[in-house]
Amino acid sequence: MGVTILVPYPLDNKKTGPEVVEELSKRLLAMQATQTGHFLVDGDVFESSFNKTKIHVMHNSEYPASVFSILDNGQKQIPLITDLIFDLLMLKVNPIYASRKQLKIESKGPRFELGDFLVKLGSVTMSQSQTFKGLLIEVDYRPCLIPIICWELIREFLQGFLGQYSPTTIPVYFTNSVPNPHHPVPYQKSNDTYQPIDTVQQYLEHFNNYRKQTIALMMGPNK
Amino acid sequence: MTSENQPIAAMDSLLQASKVNIIPNQEYLLQGSILDVQVQRLLHRLKGLCDNVETAPEQFHDYEACFSLRNIADEQAIHTAPLLLRVRRSNDPADSHMPWQLRYVGNPELGDTKRPTLVRSCFDISCSPSIMEFLTEMGCRLEFEYTVRGYLFRKGRMKITVSKIFRPMNQEPLSGSYLVELSLLAPVGADAVAEDMRVFAEKLKPLVILEKIDHRRIAPN
Repeated sequence: MGVTILVPYPLDNKKTGPEVVEELSKRLLAMQATQTGHFLVDGDVFESSFNKTKIHVMHNSEYPASVFSILDNGQKQIPLITDLIFDLLMLKVNPIYASRKQLKIESKGPRFELGDFLVKLGSVTMSQSQTFKGLLIEVDYRPCLIPIICWELIREFLQGFLGQYSPTTIPVYFTNSVPNPHHPVPYQKSNDTYQPIDTVQQYLEHFNNYRKQTIALMMGPNK
Repeated sequence: MTSENQPIAAMDSLLQASKVNIIPNQEYLLQGSILDVQVQRLLHRLKGLCDNVETAPEQFHDYEACFSLRNIADEQAIHTAPLLLRVRRSNDPADSHMPWQLRYVGNPELGDTKRPTLVRSCFDISCSPSIMEFLTEMGCRLEFEYTVRGYLFRKGRMKITVSKIFRPMNQEPLSGSYLVELSLLAPVGADAVAEDMRVFAEKLKPLVILEKIDHRRIAPN
């Protein structure tokens, strides 16, 4: 475990998703990276039948025995980490919290190791029809646990293989103010010890963006 | 995971495991009680019968809260039994790094009189301490809470606890007795274990009589 930065890769109309994944894979292999299998991050949404509360239930193949759930009531998010059996419990909670199958989303693709870095090239697909939504690139720098300390190093690394598409600033997730339960002054995630739930929360932010885009498209421009 | 293998979605692998009955989701349970003054005799008896002879009984001091979740949107569902979820954590500072436990317990199956124990579906889930806030925000209502102190024994796959229940606020005992529970978690269809439990319960007679208890009959309403 280390610090993980998740960046969306913008797609132009010239190349398809699989083509870009292949090109980036070749680039990584040329940099002496080794492919170490595939990865999968998925997210389900359960929605309350009596208020707007949503429970996002997510899995990360990097942590195969855990379920990461994030309850979102519109005002705050409460993360919860549990055993896999929590998934069976969520089936019991139906219909009080019903699964929104059309909002199920996943990011999967090849996983590479390159020295202290771990790189995952994720193709994001949504709902059972597996509609392609975009690419999410995950870079994990394993020897460090404080994002602000290793961000510059990760940024440089990203620049090395993403070129012009690499981000210049640390993702907003790390700079947002988070209320501190033990102190009146809020803190930023960039100064805090990185935890596996932070990776899942970054995925959730991007997944929610893809969901919003899809819902906006379905509703049409007039609504 | 090899480079050729795609990871399987967690839900798919869990449903597969559930289909072939390898998830221990059934609890076999017998319960009884013993007066405080007699409990030492029972502990001696259990020490002789159980596996952990050398380490003596393991002691525990836990806090448990029971939450209920009702479907308030559906008027008909209001009259049906709510979903009960129990959260348990150790009160012992030495266990502060241990995960909390979330437990779902289904309705007991008592109908079959030939079956020697009560059987109910049960999920034991380790979780992070945010579970209390998570359940509250989910719309769960805190029904009751208590602390429990006692001793834990093992015999094969069976778990035997001898414990006393206290009010959480003032640590006042709820009764002058200890609760004795003999339980086992097993996958669906492992009914043979119930017979082992019956045999074990026989060995504790007449100190304590372990029985199938219908909780619905002793509920306040």
